[in-house]
Amino acid sequence: MDIRTMLAASVAVACLCSPTLADTSSKKIALSNNYAGNSWRQAMLTSWDTITKEAVSKGVVAAADPFTTAENQATEQAAQIQNMILQGYDAIVVNAASPTALNGAIKEACDAGITVVSFDGIVTEPCAWRIAVDFKRMGESQLEYLATKLPNGGNLLEIRGLAGVSVDDEIHAGIQAGVEKNPQFKIVGSVNGDWAQDVAQRAVAGILPSLPDIAAVVTQGGDGYGAAQAFAAAKRPTPTIVMGNREDELLWWKEQKDKDGYETMSVSIAPGVSTLAFWVAQQILDGKDVKKDLVVPFLRIDQDNLEENLKNTQKGGVANVEYSLEDAQKVIAAAQ
Amino acid sequence: MTPHRFLLGKPWIWSFAATVIVWIITVLFTGGASSFGLSQAALTFAAFSVIVGIGQMFVITLGPGNIDLSVPATMTLSGTLALKLMDVQDGMILVGLLASIGIGLIVGLGNYVLIKLLRIPPIIATLSMSFIIQSVAIWSNRGLRIKPPEMLANFTTSDLFGIPNVALVAFLLSVLAWVLLEKSIYGRWISAIGQSMFAARMASIPVDGTRLVTYMLCAVLAALCGYLLASFSGGAALNMGSEYLLLSIAVVVIGGTAVAGGNSNIPGIWGASLFLFLVVSMLNTYGFGAGFRLILTGLIIIVVILLAGGRQSFR
Repeated sequence: MDIRTMLAASVAVACLCSPTLADTSSKKIALSNNYAGNSWRQAMLTSWDTITKEAVSKGVVAAADPFTTAENQATEQAAQIQNMILQGYDAIVVNAASPTALNGAIKEACDAGITVVSFDGIVTEPCAWRIAVDFKRMGESQLEYLATKLPNGGNLLEIRGLAGVSVDDEIHAGIQAGVEKNPQFKIVGSVNGDWAQDVAQRAVAGILPSLPDIAAVVTQGGDGYGAAQAFAAAKRPTPTIVMGNREDELLWWKEQKDKDGYETMSVSIAPGVSTLAFWVAQQILDGKDVKKDLVVPFLRIDQDNLEENLKNTQKGGVANVEYSLEDAQKVIAAAQ
Repeated sequence: MTPHRFLLGKPWIWSFAATVIVWIITVLFTGGASSFGLSQAALTFAAFSVIVGIGQMFVITLGPGNIDLSVPATMTLSGTLALKLMDVQDGMILVGLLASIGIGLIVGLGNYVLIKLLRIPPIIATLSMSFIIQSVAIWSNRGLRIKPPEMLANFTTSDLFGIPNVALVAFLLSVLAWVLLEKSIYGRWISAIGQSMFAARMASIPVDGTRLVTYMLCAVLAALCGYLLASFSGGAALNMGSEYLLLSIAVVVIGGTAVAGGNSNIPGIWGASLFLFLVVSMLNTYGFGAGFRLILTGLIIIVVILLAGGRQSFR
């Protein structure tokens, strides 16, 4: 590890002559990640790798090393952050296992003069920056879409995420708010799909025989394809299933669209948000004044830009956007 | 022996009784209209738990401390690699199946090498093995989803006279396992080892060979399940096995197999697998929130285990 850092640092020194030289060329940034076991997280790490390698080779920062814990546990991640403090990183970008359980370790990092930027899984510790997604809005937008597509309303099946995680509660709250505004819709069933398509398929298959006709399925991402499979297996007509930007979901949508003009929408957050967090950390290290709470837009795919997004999505991956320094500056400016 | 005593003497009867009750309650919600669909869904998803459950049961029968925590990772690796190898070609289905079985054999061997040569307790050995396997799965395909060959996908999702094909496969495997357990010398050996390893050694049973075969059998069944599940759900995912870690242990315990080893039970695994699927379906059907649902699931499982455990005092 140390040798790698030194190598990276020497590369940075060798690049001192480059014209893109920023004030952060000697700074080291670490990514603390709590989980890598699904395609979204894999895409997140790949994006981090692509963008930061380029940044390091251009001498923008000295190092940007990603670390992932094995067990997805807050205690383990807290220990990981403590190690990063000892290793002398200047900034830590963190996707946290828990919004509160890491606060102690985060506070220690802040006290040691380290910039901490949390994203996706954000932390509540006030000294850290937060790049959050408006998940509630994401839930509401599904109902807004359905209200225009199915003006007569109908029965909804809701697939929720992992019980007990704040993201699940927020998206659910958004969906509920949407249903209140559009009372022609009624949620007749709700299952937990854990954002995994096989879990979603299992749960939907179990409840489906007991449900009346379903007009649409509202989801949280990663579960749409499983829901579609369960409807097909039960030989029921396919409702409008809101997708979550996974390649398998988009591909399935494309197949249905070509077959019978099937219409839906897809919404999720781009895994490349890790790169936005990287640039925000870099900007803070650069001495820019950045608000503690930033909002990242979610990535929405509609009927007309489906093909384009599908083409840009890696096989088996997640529709993605990688952010540039300019994007980060825009997000920072928008929060001012 | 009266029929009454006969039934009470069978530990698996409780999981089946619970299954029937839960099924009836769920079906009542729609006045019976959902009975066929629900039964089919239950059989399909129970089949996957049965396959991993049988493997886990053999391992647990080996006695206290024997457990295989590498089941989910093995499923993931097997599903991922088999689908990658088959690459949507119907002609490669058999090759993919053999690759899956091969992966199972290697994982099982690796598990037992850690346990025996390095003297690591099974729970730690299989857990560390699962990290290695999961990392290989991530490294080999980085979570990319490849579709199964058309023919295989059709096979796993269709049914014969209303009974899902995967359930038939699971049933076939159960019969084989039953013969192995009840009618073969190997079955006697693992029961003997589970009851007392020392006594088994004294009786000149090849203890190490038997344990090695058992760990390999468990891993092969997990690999097979991963292969079927990935084909059934339209592709492998990195987290596809995670649900099956606790599930594989739960179906064994609820099914009436002694956790302390030495006494196993195959019909109970079916009862427990159907029951665990139906409980979640029932609570979903009646619209309970996630928190309440988890509490109720826990309570129902405790009641079933208490009832199943109570029988021992009759004897």
